[in-house]
Amino acid sequence: MKRVACLILCLVGCVAVLSATPALAKKPIKVGIVDCYSGPPSTYTNDVRDAFKMEIDKINAAGGVLGREITFVTRDSKFKVDIGLSAAKELIMRERVDILMGTINSALALAVSDLCRKEKIPFVVTFSKSAKITGAKGHRYVFSITENTAMAGKAAAVGLSKKPFQKYWIAGDDYEYGHAIAEGVWANLKNMRPDVKLLGESWWKVGEPDFTPYITAILAAKPDAVIVATGGRDCVPFLKAAKATGFNQRVPFYMHTATELSTLKPLGLDAPEGVLGTSNYFFYYPRSAANKAFVKTFQKTYDRYPAVGAVYGSLAADFIAGAYQKAGSVDTEKFVDALEGMTVDSPLGQVTMRAYDHQAMLPMFMGVTQKIEGYNFLIAGDIMVIPGEKVMPSVAEIKKAR
Amino acid sequence: MGMEKEHRHLIFLGIPVMAVLLLLPLGVSRFYVYLVSLMLVTGLLATSLNLVLGFGGMYQFHHAVFYGTGAYALALVVTKTGWPWWIGFLAAPICSGALGLIMGVITVRLSKLYFGMLQISLGSLVWAIVFRWYAFTGGDDGIHGIPVPDLIGSSTGAYYFTLAVSLTALFAMYRILCSPFGRTFQGIRDNPERCRALGIHVQRHQLVGEGLAGFFASVAGALFVTVEGSVFPDLLFWTLSLEIVIMCLLGGWFIFLGPMLGAAIIVTLRTFVGIYTEYWTLVLGIVLMLLIFFLPEGALGLVLRHREPAAGSGKEA
Amino acid sequence: MDGAANITAAALLQQILVGLSRTTILFIVSSGLSLVLGVLRIPNVAHGSLYMIGAFLTYSVATLAGGGTVGFIVALTVAPLGVALISFVVERGLFCHLYEREHLMLLLFTFSIMLVFGDLVKLIWGSDYRSLTAPLFLQGSFSIQGFPFPRYNLFLLLVGPLVAAGLWFLTNKTKIGKIARAAAVDREMVGAMGINVSWVFAAVFVIGCYLAGLGGALVAPTQNITQGMDHTIIIEAFLIVIIGGLGNIWGALLGALIFGLTDAIGILIWPQFAIVFPYAAVVVVLLFRPKGLLKSTW
Repeated sequence: MKRVACLILCLVGCVAVLSATPALAKKPIKVGIVDCYSGPPSTYTNDVRDAFKMEIDKINAAGGVLGREITFVTRDSKFKVDIGLSAAKELIMRERVDILMGTINSALALAVSDLCRKEKIPFVVTFSKSAKITGAKGHRYVFSITENTAMAGKAAAVGLSKKPFQKYWIAGDDYEYGHAIAEGVWANLKNMRPDVKLLGESWWKVGEPDFTPYITAILAAKPDAVIVATGGRDCVPFLKAAKATGFNQRVPFYMHTATELSTLKPLGLDAPEGVLGTSNYFFYYPRSAANKAFVKTFQKTYDRYPAVGAVYGSLAADFIAGAYQKAGSVDTEKFVDALEGMTVDSPLGQVTMRAYDHQAMLPMFMGVTQKIEGYNFLIAGDIMVIPGEKVMPSVAEIKKAR
Repeated sequence: MGMEKEHRHLIFLGIPVMAVLLLLPLGVSRFYVYLVSLMLVTGLLATSLNLVLGFGGMYQFHHAVFYGTGAYALALVVTKTGWPWWIGFLAAPICSGALGLIMGVITVRLSKLYFGMLQISLGSLVWAIVFRWYAFTGGDDGIHGIPVPDLIGSSTGAYYFTLAVSLTALFAMYRILCSPFGRTFQGIRDNPERCRALGIHVQRHQLVGEGLAGFFASVAGALFVTVEGSVFPDLLFWTLSLEIVIMCLLGGWFIFLGPMLGAAIIVTLRTFVGIYTEYWTLVLGIVLMLLIFFLPEGALGLVLRHREPAAGSGKEA
Repeated sequence: MDGAANITAAALLQQILVGLSRTTILFIVSSGLSLVLGVLRIPNVAHGSLYMIGAFLTYSVATLAGGGTVGFIVALTVAPLGVALISFVVERGLFCHLYEREHLMLLLFTFSIMLVFGDLVKLIWGSDYRSLTAPLFLQGSFSIQGFPFPRYNLFLLLVGPLVAAGLWFLTNKTKIGKIARAAAVDREMVGAMGINVSWVFAAVFVIGCYLAGLGGALVAPTQNITQGMDHTIIIEAFLIVIIGGLGNIWGALLGALIFGLTDAIGILIWPQFAIVFPYAAVVVVLLFRPKGLLKSTW
C-alpha cells in the first residue's frame, strides 16, 4: 500500500522537477525539429539536420540574429505519427520552441501543420512531398521549403512533353505519394500534349521485394515510355530490377527520384543508364560558385557529399534567420509577415517564398543517369532546368483547392 | 484472483489518486495535462486488451485494430457527415464492438497462437483497406484537424472529458469482471476443459469477451481523436498492438489496474527517453528483457506481492 | 486501363517463375522459423531481425572480401554463419533460461530482442542504403519467349530445392534431426533417455537462425539493404508458418508457395489490390483448415 503511494508520489515529483524550465536572460531563438531519424527515411533526414546545423553554426558565429543565438533540438518520430505528434506537442508546450521544422512523413507533417495552426507556431516543412501542405490544407503558419508532388509532376510533364513518346504506362508505390506524383505528371502532360495515351497502370506495395513481375507486365503492353512513381527505399531495388531485366534498354522510363544521390550512390556503377529523373539539387549542379562553396564546407564538416536534403536544411536556416532579421523582432506574427515573399541566397541561387501559399519557389532539374569519369557512381547528365515559376501550381489553382 | 482484496486497495488508493487527477490542471503546465490525458487513453486501451488477454487467456495479438476503427469511426462521422460530434463518439464503440464480434466469430474457433495469428491476418486486411482507400479514409495521409466541440476543445477540457470517460469505462470493465459472466470468463482462462465439462459454452463467452474488448478499445480510440484531433493508419498497425501487449505485461497482466500503470510507464519513458536519445527502442527492448527475466508478474504485481502475498497469485507466468 | 488484358501465356509463365524464386526466399526464412517454433516452442519475432542482419553482414563481408564473384561466395558462406553465431550466443545466454515460460512471454521476449537488434543495426551500419552487386555470371537476364528473366532469380530457383533437400536430410537422416523431432513431440521423454535436451535445443535454434541469415544473404543482391527489412519479412514468415501448420517445415514450403504465387499472380490479375491477396489467402486457408494445411507438431 505504502509502496504504491510512494511510487505515485515519486512520479508526481518527477513531473514537477521536469516541468520547471530554467529562465534565461537573453533568450535564444529555439527551433524544434521533429523528423524520422530511424529506419530507411533517415538517409534523407540526416542531411537536412546536418546542413541546418552547419548553417546555424555559421549564423551564430557571425553574431546570431537580432543579437540572439539560434538553437535547435531534435526529436525522432520513428516514422510514427502518434510519436511524432506527441513529440511536437512536447516541443511546443515544454521546450517552448519558437519554430517547428520537419518532417519526411506526410501524415505527420499534416498533423503537425494542423497543430501549429491552432498553436500559432510557424512550421517549416522540410521533406514531406504532399501538395496538400501548402495547397488544400495550407494556412498562415505553415511554410514548405521542399518540392511537392504537384511541382514534381508538373516539372516532369514539362520535360516529358518535349520527348516524342505517345503511349505511356504508369507504375508506382501504392500510397498517397506514388499516386499523387503519377496524377501530377499525367494531368499536366495530358494538358501540354493532348496526343498522349495511357495504356495501363500497375501499383505495388511499399517495400515490394521483387519488381520483375511488374516489369514483365509492363513490357507486355509495349509502351513508348513508362512513368515510375516510386520514392524512398523502393528506388534502389527497382533500378536493380530494371538493370537485371534490361528494362531501361527496352523502354525509356522516368522516375522522379532516380537521379537522387541517395538512390544512385548505393548502386555504384551498377545503376542503369539512361533513366530520366528530376530533383531539386545535385552536389554537382548548379555549377555555381555558391554551390561549390556549400559542397566544400559540407564535405569538410561531414565527410560526405550533400544530398538534396542538405539544401532543404540550409534553406530552412537561411529563411528562418532572414525572416527574423527582416521582422526586426522575435514576434511570431511579424516573423510570418516577413517570411512571406522573402528571397534568400542559396546553393541553388535565389529562392523566393511565395507569399500566397508559403511554398518556396524551387527550380527542378531533369537529368538522365550517366557514367561520368571521376565518380564511382552514376550521376545525372544532360540537365534541363525547369525554373520555379514554371513548376508551381498557379495561385488561382491553390485558391481553388483551399 | 485477488479481486476483492484489490477492491480494498482501490478504495484506499482511490481517494488521493482521484484528488490528484481532478486538481492536476491547476497545478502543472498544459504539457503535463496533455501527457496525463495520453496516459489515460493508452491505459484504457491496454486495460481493454487485458480484459481478454489477462482475464480471458486469449492471445489477442491485434488489438489496435479496434482502437483504430473507433478513432476512424468518429473521424469519418465528423468529417464526412454533418452529424453532431457526439453521434460520432457513440458510433465508435458500436462499429468496433461489431467488428469485434465479426472477427470473434471467425477466430474463437481457434486457440492460442492460431487465434492470435488469424487475428493478425484479419487485422492486417482491415489495415490495408484503411491504408489504400484514399477517397474514404484519406489513405496513408490520414485525416487531420478533426473538429472537437468547444466545451472539450482546450487541453483542460479534453483532459476532464478523457478522465470522466476513461474512469467510467474502467469502472464498467471492473464490474463486468466481477459479474457472473466475468467469473466464468476467468474460469475459462484457467481451465477451459473443465468449464466445457460443466456445460459452459466456452466459445460464446469468448465471443462476448472479444466484442467487449473491441467496444472499450474503441472508446479509447475516440478519446485519442478528442485529445489529438488526428487519425492515421498507424493506429491499426500490428506493431502498436504488440506495444499494447507490452504495457499489459509491464504493469502486470493478472491485475486489473496493471495495464494502466504499464501504459503510464511506457508513455512517460517514451516521452522523456526520446528527449535524450534516438535509441529509445533499444532502451525499451532492454527494459523489457530485464522485466521478463526478473519481474514476470509486472510492476504492480511486484508491489502487490510484497504487500500481500496472495494478491498477485492468480497464475504464475 | 486493365493490366490483365495484356497478359499472355508467356507472361504468365514468367510471372510464375518469378513467384517461385520469391517462394525460395520465403521458404528458407519461414522453414527456419517453423523449425524453432516446432521444436523449441518459441515464436521467434526476432527471426526477421536475423534475416536483416544476414543481409547487412553479406554486404559487409562481400565488400571486405573485395567484391565480385569471390566476395559474393565468401559472403554467402560467412554471413549466415555469423548470424548462427549471434543466435548461439543469444540462445545460450538468454533463451535457455526461459524455456519453461509461457508462449506469450517468449513471444514478447523475442520482440524485445527484435527492438534491440533493430537499433543495433542502426548503430553499426548507419542509415545509408546499401546495395550489393551479384557476381558477374548472375547479372543480367535471359529471354523466355521474349520476356526477360533475371539470372539471379534462376539461381534462387536452384538454391530452393537444395535447401529443401538439405533440411529433409537433416531432419530424417541425421541423429540430431531425429532427436529434435522426438523432442518436439515429447521433450520429457527425450530427456529421460539421457539425452541433453538443452544442447539439442541450442542446435535447432542455431540451425533455424542460420536459415534466416541465409535468406537475408540470398536476398541481398536483389534488394535495398536497409533498416526496416525485418518488419516486412517477419509477418509474412509467421503467416506462412501458420497456414502450413506450426512446426512443420513442409508446411512452410506449402505456405511459401501459396504466398509467393498468390502475390505474383495477384499482380497480374488485379494489381490495384495485390497488397491484399496474400492476407486473404491466409484467411481462406484458416477458415477451412484452422490448424494449417499440414499436420502441426503442436
